[in-house]
Amino acid sequence: MDTSSLGISYHAILPELITATAAIAIMVGDAVARKISRRTAGLLALAGCAGAAVAVFSLWGETGPAFYGGMIINDPLRLSFAIVFLAVSTLTVLISIRWIEDEGLPAGEYFALLMFATTGMLLMASANDLVMIFLGLEITSISTYVLCGYRRQDIRSNESAVKYFILGSFSTAFLLYGIALIYGACYISGAHPAATTNLQLIRERIADGALFSPRMLMAGAAMMIVGFGFKVATAPFHIWSPDVYQGAPTPVTAFLSTGSKAAAFASFSRVFILTFAAASVMGSPELRELQSAWTGVLAVMAILTMTIGNLVAIVQTNIKRMLAYSSIAHAGYALMGIVARDWQAVAFYMIGYAVINIGAFAVIEAIARRGDIRTSLSDYSGIGFRSLGLASVLSLFLLSLAGIPATAGFVGKLLVFKSAWGAGFHMLVVIAVINSAVSWYYYLRVIVLMFFSEPAAEFNPPSLTKSLGVALVIMAIATFYLGLLPGRALALLENAKNQATMIVAK
Amino acid sequence: MESYLLTIITLLPLAGAILLLVVKPNENTLRWTALIISLATFALSLALPIGFQSGRGLQFEQNVEWISAFNLGVRYHIGVDGLSLWLVLLTTFLVPLALISSWNSIRFRLREYLIAILALETGMIGVFIAMDLFLFYLFWEVMLVPMYLLIGIWGGERRVYAAVKFVIYTVLGSLLMLAGIIALYSIHGQFMDRLHGPLAGNYTFDIAVITAHAKDLGFLSMSAQRWLFWAFGIAFLIKVPLFPFHTWLPDAHVEAPTAGSVILAGVLLKMGAYGLMRFNLPLFPDAARAYAPLIATLAVIGIIYGALVAMVQPDLKKLVAYSSVSHLGFVVLGIFSFTEMGMQGALYQMLNHGVSTGALFVVVGMIYDRRHTRLISEFGGLARIMPVYSTLFLIVTLSSIALPLLNGFVGEFLILIGTFTSADLPHAKMLTSFAATGMILSAVYMLWVYQRVVFGEVTNPENLKLSDLSGREKLALAPLVAMALVMGVYPSYFLVKSGNAVRAVRSALAQAKPLRAASSTVPPRTND
Repeated sequence: MDTSSLGISYHAILPELITATAAIAIMVGDAVARKISRRTAGLLALAGCAGAAVAVFSLWGETGPAFYGGMIINDPLRLSFAIVFLAVSTLTVLISIRWIEDEGLPAGEYFALLMFATTGMLLMASANDLVMIFLGLEITSISTYVLCGYRRQDIRSNESAVKYFILGSFSTAFLLYGIALIYGACYISGAHPAATTNLQLIRERIADGALFSPRMLMAGAAMMIVGFGFKVATAPFHIWSPDVYQGAPTPVTAFLSTGSKAAAFASFSRVFILTFAAASVMGSPELRELQSAWTGVLAVMAILTMTIGNLVAIVQTNIKRMLAYSSIAHAGYALMGIVARDWQAVAFYMIGYAVINIGAFAVIEAIARRGDIRTSLSDYSGIGFRSLGLASVLSLFLLSLAGIPATAGFVGKLLVFKSAWGAGFHMLVVIAVINSAVSWYYYLRVIVLMFFSEPAAEFNPPSLTKSLGVALVIMAIATFYLGLLPGRALALLENAKNQATMIVAK
Repeated sequence: MESYLLTIITLLPLAGAILLLVVKPNENTLRWTALIISLATFALSLALPIGFQSGRGLQFEQNVEWISAFNLGVRYHIGVDGLSLWLVLLTTFLVPLALISSWNSIRFRLREYLIAILALETGMIGVFIAMDLFLFYLFWEVMLVPMYLLIGIWGGERRVYAAVKFVIYTVLGSLLMLAGIIALYSIHGQFMDRLHGPLAGNYTFDIAVITAHAKDLGFLSMSAQRWLFWAFGIAFLIKVPLFPFHTWLPDAHVEAPTAGSVILAGVLLKMGAYGLMRFNLPLFPDAARAYAPLIATLAVIGIIYGALVAMVQPDLKKLVAYSSVSHLGFVVLGIFSFTEMGMQGALYQMLNHGVSTGALFVVVGMIYDRRHTRLISEFGGLARIMPVYSTLFLIVTLSSIALPLLNGFVGEFLILIGTFTSADLPHAKMLTSFAATGMILSAVYMLWVYQRVVFGEVTNPENLKLSDLSGREKLALAPLVAMALVMGVYPSYFLVKSGNAVRAVRSALAQAKPLRAASSTVPPRTND
């Protein structure tokens, strides 16, 4: 194998390189300059995100072959999700700057870890190899384990980190086991006997029916569903997420509930839609059976996830915990897109969800104050008119989460529901719709408390810093933009879809 | 022909709301700004009936591409036809009056209150003019938010309960409708794909296109029609509200502030009936025919039940609320008689109810502002103290009980004749006679309450010092009373304009041919 066939191209991994460089720069800067200021660290992180975004757009249209011996692929799925991740990171940085100052925590490590996590997520989307997916996942996970425990004086934050670490490692083991099984299942004998973890080869072998054992593939797929299910927090693998989300620092919760989820959905799409589903279309009856088996399992998981998430969210008394359950429910809706094999719908759903969910967490963080003191729902009674701006945007984000038209949340829901209906999952859509109706109750309850109830004892409206204000305005505008004029974003994804079918057809 | 008039009428109140959000004048300027904006909207909307040609369908249309990616087929398609024309007018007519009637009664957060009302107006007009399902659903849902806030923030004592109940009922219905919209959209798109091969425009949310195809091609199987009929129907029947989906209404009506009640009763309830005529009848004609007896029976039960419950209410506002249940029963009955007269009567009754119940809420609001109670037993003998008030109250009462020469009579009479002659309803004559008792009952409860409030001796000394109507209050009531007279004397002006649309609905009902085969089989090519 000569080096040219390895396909080394720095351009192809430019986004990952930039975010990793930003992370290292922040770390080194912090060490050399004896605590760089929080603002500088934040700005470096923002610059990293912006640079990576430029790199992503420069890669647009240059989709095609795999790089690095088939490890990295530059295809529409990667680019679409990369935009989601970079949006998530940018918004998280913006809402973190003020928080980290309030808490008096060191900023260097925080932003460096955030950038490393972003790098890992980007790798998960660009991976074309199961090993690479694993690598990306681990980079993300380990960074976020630390971030969860970042308020190290706080016992809840510690609990969150430990729980996330233990259960996360456990799920990673499942994923790894699944990878191993698939690796074995794709063994071919002959002149060049070899097993493979390369997704391109796996797809070809499934399509050709050249598998060592389809049953082993099925077992491997099942393990991977468990592994990804943990990361996405789908029922019944969701148990960790409320505790972790509640205990983690609020910006980290925002990041986890949107970024890591989206990353896991990217890999989910890569493996299940672009590899298994794409291959099974032309495969043997046995493979089609495999296909319908995992689709059925995922459909049931989607139903369980949204139902449990919504029902349990109703009885929560802590707003962070409530939103944790709400984010479980949203994972259920997004999973419908995977069931319907429409990753574009999932990508759009995730970007809309990222904007509104981070928005909601940003307001919660501003109201919670130092040390997450005011996160109980009762703290929200009567604050509506005392802090009209914050309460209004929080209401907007909550309504959008509930799926009110004219906002991002509705278009995302409409797309996944439409795909699921078109793919024949009618009952799934009906259940999802009923679930949405349930979710209105607890989203509205916050609005009821804020605007219709008598004020609680003392409440000093939090002052807005520039970064948080900018972030909130961006997110509010984006909520309406994606809800009223989603045409541009959808056109990007549509282009991506056409290219994706071309690539698969090759 | 492109016309921006409807867009301007729809968005003007919203622009006004944004204006109020940005500038911070004093309270009086706020009120005047809101009033002038709503009056300007009304003035502009007057161009609609003037320019409307009775013989044609959709007019003042605007139809441009909105979201085309993924062949989503969302269009910005708006227009008015005979079904929606007068409802738009009713909306723009009632909002300024609602503002005038609550001129001084809102003291808390006036600016946000006015913003909510103006935003609500945009949402309501939007529902009536939207000719694209996506757009329709957008307005339908978005309108909920200001109404919710109006009840929840400026409402009475049990406002939180009422507001939440209102939203949960409506949202449950409208989300089922969302599932219905997605299903209708997919079935239609897939059918067109099979018929013409995959073309770009096959998938569409355009109501006019889908309705035309439902009529000409009959792309919905009977079972699909049945499901979709209820998916859409429940949303609308909750909104109407038809017995037994009505329980949110008394709470919402009673707790809402006066302006909220006027708008709620005057316009929001009409959306349900409008939806039935716009969607359920022409799109799912066979299912509509199959379920007509059931719904007509429920409507008659609602008429009598609403009237009986209204009779025993101690609270004036609650009485008016239950009378709405009764009156709206007539509307639904007229719609499902499937006769031209019945449906025309239903449309007319929708306007009448908007005018006379709107007026009733204003009347109740006026004495509530003075005494801060709505209990009937607190009043009595108001005729001597407030003569002008009592006179106007009397006209409104008579309009509500459908005295000939007043508006209510025309609508209910048409509905009863339409139902009596209906060929599609079994036991039409019996249904009609039961419904007619509702008219008698309405006379009983309305005249009785009028007697208890206005006639007799002044039993409560607190009532002695009540002042009669101020100029502003006369201004709020006079247009409503005038409309009640005009609509009672000269109904043909209104009915002529809605006739064409009603006949279109009827022909859709008559011509539809249900797809007998399962929807998965390939339909034969039609020569078109």
